[in-house]
Amino acid sequence: MGHGPEQVISSDQIKRRGGLMFAALIRLGQAALTALAACVIVFALLPLAPGDPANRVLLARGVETPTPAEIEATRVELGLYDPMPVQFINWLGNVMQGDFGLSFTSQASVTQEILERLPATLILLGLALGFSIVFSLSFALIAAGFRDRWPDHLIRIYTQIGAAFPTFVFALLALTFLIVGFQMGQVLADVTWQAALIPAFIIGLDRAASWTQLLRAGLLQAMASGYADVARTRGASEGRILLRHALPNAILPFLTAIGVSIGALIGGAPLIEAIFTWPGLGAYVLEALSARNYPVIQAYVLIAALSYVAAALLVDLAAILLDPRLRDPSK
Amino acid sequence: MTTSFTLTRPAPLPRQVPRRLLAKLWHHRSGRLGLILGLALCLFAMVGAVWTPADPNQPNYINALKPPQLAHPFGTDATGRDMFSRSLDAAHRSLGAATLVLAAVFVIGLLIGTTAGLLGGVVDTVLMRTADIAMTLPGLVLAFAVLGILGPGFLNLLLALIIADWAWYARLARSLSLNARHQPHVIAARLAGVPNWRIICGHILPDVALQLGIVASLALGGMIGAISGFSFLGLGVQPPHAEWGAMLSEARLYFTVALWLLIAPAGLIFLSVLSANLIGNALRDVAGAKDEQS
Repeated sequence: MGHGPEQVISSDQIKRRGGLMFAALIRLGQAALTALAACVIVFALLPLAPGDPANRVLLARGVETPTPAEIEATRVELGLYDPMPVQFINWLGNVMQGDFGLSFTSQASVTQEILERLPATLILLGLALGFSIVFSLSFALIAAGFRDRWPDHLIRIYTQIGAAFPTFVFALLALTFLIVGFQMGQVLADVTWQAALIPAFIIGLDRAASWTQLLRAGLLQAMASGYADVARTRGASEGRILLRHALPNAILPFLTAIGVSIGALIGGAPLIEAIFTWPGLGAYVLEALSARNYPVIQAYVLIAALSYVAAALLVDLAAILLDPRLRDPSK
Repeated sequence: MTTSFTLTRPAPLPRQVPRRLLAKLWHHRSGRLGLILGLALCLFAMVGAVWTPADPNQPNYINALKPPQLAHPFGTDATGRDMFSRSLDAAHRSLGAATLVLAAVFVIGLLIGTTAGLLGGVVDTVLMRTADIAMTLPGLVLAFAVLGILGPGFLNLLLALIIADWAWYARLARSLSLNARHQPHVIAARLAGVPNWRIICGHILPDVALQLGIVASLALGGMIGAISGFSFLGLGVQPPHAEWGAMLSEARLYFTVALWLLIAPAGLIFLSVLSANLIGNALRDVAGAKDEQS
């Protein structure tokens, strides 16, 4: 690439910069559209639910047999007589200002209640994500470096076992083992970083299994490729090929898997928090789900959808930045 | 691959595979293990659907929390119900539900995806935009949302999982059917004057179905986990009916005194997902399926 005259190179660079910006902008527009679609779905939850929304709101507030006047008042209060698009825009306007309405059960602001519980969930899921990235990166590199020797066999057994345990079953068994075997029940008392360490370690260990599998396969494929052979003929050590050639090439699908799994992680939060009796967003939603507390469910689904969209966007932007082949929008 | 330069033969064409798929699976080392395990679990579930040694839902408080013994191989739970009978009874719910959801998603995805891919035009746009909207939410979150609307319950859970997953299969089926249209044997058939419906039924649908089926089989393990997870939370199978996830949830209050209550359901979930994973991975190997193509 560096052989042409100076001018050609610079204009080529400008074109590549343009391609980069263009691809990034297109991806950004897609993300905005996706977020809007998510908002439509979340809004539609309330009208889609069977029965009269006013009745359900009253029931959730504890009014078992409402009078027609009460129903009428609730309908006006909820704006149910407005046309659907107007209702949607009103709702969206409120949501954009961070207002998800009042909780049916406690009559308190849903946003407030969520903000109280969000830190606990972020601490747990963030730590778990960190653990699983560290585990899968190191396990996959070790396995690929020691291919078909005992560390590789050991790690492959771990990935098979880890993939065969749904996260909640693994977490339940690990927790039981810790509490029964080591009397560590007291450690998991309140919401601190230290208390989150053990649950996050357990979740991370389970989630890392499938990522290790993915990254190991990618690394091995790259190690067997033509450019790895070229590096070998030029005297590069296997370790250097693994770290400098195979890893950068195998990392993209790995990043994508991590981005996608953010959605699964948030979606799995109710289950994980139920197991560790962790007072976060997931536990809150679970409570809301059995009480049919729709504003809370809506808020959770929207937060989950938006973080999913944001994570996918970040990963894709990183991929565009890392891999020039993705910059051509025509492909 | 230890030698540096080896000539690689082109992968065999996936067309020749379907007829001998089971035989090839049997000769695949981990595939055979998965098949044996899977067959054993299917048998277990089928027996459990029609017969159990004791009534799985009848409490018997005198027998409460008995450790495993000859009369109760898996012990008894806090209300004295035989854990073996409950595990046996639960199998067809846990495994059947996962299979049912994936079969439904497979059929819906195949129909919608191939329709969109083969008809094109407005139909394609409408169907795929709908799918795109359904795919904006992560599957588990969408399932939670649908359960939030419909309320907890086993059938509602199945419906929620189908709603959460169909779009992914429809998208994949569409891109596979577009690929299949440009396969040499399809073009040859068209040149030979084979009518359109025969090309679709005889060539394109089987191709797409095979690839889509492999993807669905790879998802079976995750689906078993999802169903038992939702039931663990009390959102799926309702008491007194047994389901492995729900049994774990009942057991966790007593795990300090009765560890066996955890072992049986957790072990069965583990073995089921393991078997599904082994079969799925072996299937992907022997069918020579391409990895995800976006």
